[in-house]
Amino acid sequence: MGLDVEPGTVLLIVGPSGSGKSTLALTAAGLIPGQIPATVEGALTLDGDDATTLGPVGVAARVGLVLQDPGAQLVMERVEDEVAFGLENRAWPREAIRARVPQVLDEVGLAGTERARSRRLSGGQQQRLAVAGALAPRPGLLVLDEPTANLDEQGSTALIATLSAIRQAKAATIVLIEHQVDLAWPLADMVLALDATGRPIDVGKPKNVLRRSADAMRGAGIWLPGENAAQRLGTPRDPGDVLVRSEGVRFGYDRGEPVVRDLTFRAAGGERIALVGPNGAGKSTLGRLLVGLLRPDHGKVELAGRDPARMPAAALARHAGYVFQEPERQFLTQTVGDEVRLGLTAQERGHVDELMSRLGLPLDRFEGRSPYRLSGGEGRRLSLACILVRRPEVLVLDEPTFGQDRLGYEGLLAILDGHLDQGACLIAATHDRRFVRDVAGRVVEMEAGWIVRDEPMTAAEDVA
Amino acid sequence: MIVSRLQVEDAQLDSPLGRTSPVAKLAIAIVWLVGLALTLHPVPPLILAGVALAAGLALGGIPPLQLGRTLAPVWLAAVAIGVSNMVFSMANGDPTTATLLRLGPVRIAEPAFIAGVGIMLRVAAIAAVGGVFALTTDSTRLADALVQQARVPARFAYGALAAYGAIPRFAEDLATLRQARRIRGLRAGWHPRLFVGLLVLAIRHADRMAVAMDARAFGSGARTPYRQVRWTWMDAAVGTGAVAILAIALLAGR
Repeated sequence: MGLDVEPGTVLLIVGPSGSGKSTLALTAAGLIPGQIPATVEGALTLDGDDATTLGPVGVAARVGLVLQDPGAQLVMERVEDEVAFGLENRAWPREAIRARVPQVLDEVGLAGTERARSRRLSGGQQQRLAVAGALAPRPGLLVLDEPTANLDEQGSTALIATLSAIRQAKAATIVLIEHQVDLAWPLADMVLALDATGRPIDVGKPKNVLRRSADAMRGAGIWLPGENAAQRLGTPRDPGDVLVRSEGVRFGYDRGEPVVRDLTFRAAGGERIALVGPNGAGKSTLGRLLVGLLRPDHGKVELAGRDPARMPAAALARHAGYVFQEPERQFLTQTVGDEVRLGLTAQERGHVDELMSRLGLPLDRFEGRSPYRLSGGEGRRLSLACILVRRPEVLVLDEPTFGQDRLGYEGLLAILDGHLDQGACLIAATHDRRFVRDVAGRVVEMEAGWIVRDEPMTAAEDVA
Repeated sequence: MIVSRLQVEDAQLDSPLGRTSPVAKLAIAIVWLVGLALTLHPVPPLILAGVALAAGLALGGIPPLQLGRTLAPVWLAAVAIGVSNMVFSMANGDPTTATLLRLGPVRIAEPAFIAGVGIMLRVAAIAAVGGVFALTTDSTRLADALVQQARVPARFAYGALAAYGAIPRFAEDLATLRQARRIRGLRAGWHPRLFVGLLVLAIRHADRMAVAMDARAFGSGARTPYRQVRWTWMDAAVGTGAVAILAIALLAGR
């Protein structure tokens, strides 16, 4: 592909899961080839120089990189050291570093946090800190690979506002890879759309790309702004028996400050519940308590008439399923085929082929692949498949839709629909408004460990 | 969890011991360790442990409860090591030694008792010195001081710093992997697969961290330190005091 990006503009790259968007970003950041072995054909020029011959140092001087997971890119303990790190490495004079650090922190809305420890910031603040670190040496180009994937709504909005301010000030050219289309498209000066094999579908001004190639992008599974999924979940059945309940449950990690406080909650067969609220509100912890992965400090949980934390693993796995937020932290084997079949009964194994095909991971292509070498969206779908194949009656999902293109999303919805029709209940912790709208029958909002709102979807939608 | 116990607050870092150069403190710890190796007498480790604890509380601003919680497990281990040394000492089988205690078939001779107590006190003293060092030292400042004052290569010092910062993450990785096994119907406990998973995650994290650091020009040549660590009068005072105390302790144990 050939493409020129004007200085000071924003290029948005969109494409289905596995189309090579991240690879392109790492190439632009000068890390492929070089840090990551790969074969490269064609040329990448930065300000007219060939990036592959500039070497990592030369490229790093001109490009700032921000990745998905703030925890995997913050190097130093404190905010000011984090921002200064890139400047120290470029041997800026100390006075210049001292002047630049507060300036950049102000640009990303973190003024006054110099001495704070970055691990105590919220996810959204951490990600803006990563932007500050990348921006500090005044790179010509800022590359961001799904920077909002781990953020709540507030964090995403603040990050996009920061990028918008950078664009206004023409402080850097921005290459942005982002699945949250409604946030990202208004920011873009140019859009590059890739198909599943990584070939360009179209490139140009956003409105021209939309006009010319809407159908081709839809066909490739790319989300378009302001567009809904083709289908929603069918109308919920009348709630059946209560499948899981908690009474006055309290929990704190390491016996510290409670993360979940005196929660009383119940979920009945056929219910689809969206757990919403900011990062750190206790959504994931509540989910793990409900399926017996954590034991409450106070109160009790009952699942299938028993305390799930005391159930033998085999019995627990028959009744409950839990999909963790980060797919790679739950992989237990070295190939996709082994992973999805791990611990299944002969009967459950019978469903594997069909399920994997419906999730866009057909085993004839994915059987021997390493779970760790899948794209973000593919890894997410594999982690879902491992649990969905067991058809548990209580299904808890943590951010099930992050990184999903349109085809993956719709495939997931269809499978959930069939599963819930058989009387299971779904509890999904999510920041994805689209998923809440398309799936939830009931919205439970948490804040600082409390349930602050619990109501049927229709009413919740009016409030939102 | 040990990691959360080692959380150092700003008050500790702004204390006199907190402001002392980490390299100076490290040097003191090493000198004291060598000194302790020179004697088997129970008094010197007792003095050094007492001084380290008193300095940690008075000059280091460590909350007493935090100090106690950090040291308790190591001190328990020290007692266990001391007792097992007493019980399994060769001297117990030597009939010429004086019998101190007899419990059924177990005989504890006087030299065995003295040696056991000596070992116990030395382990306890080393733990006290190490605990006070860890609880008054900012890890970033340690790396800065190692590079600027001890001429340790930056690549090593800051790489180690990043690895240290990742320890809480590995604890989370392990907890999640164990939960992932349980929800898939697999037996809890310590399956070898867990370690493979943990290793894969650690390597992947290290890879990503390396990419993030390289993308910010780490290791590309000369570096300006943002935070300067200079030798101060405080370092001289603390260092002199520490050497004097070691001398007194060794003399007391003659």
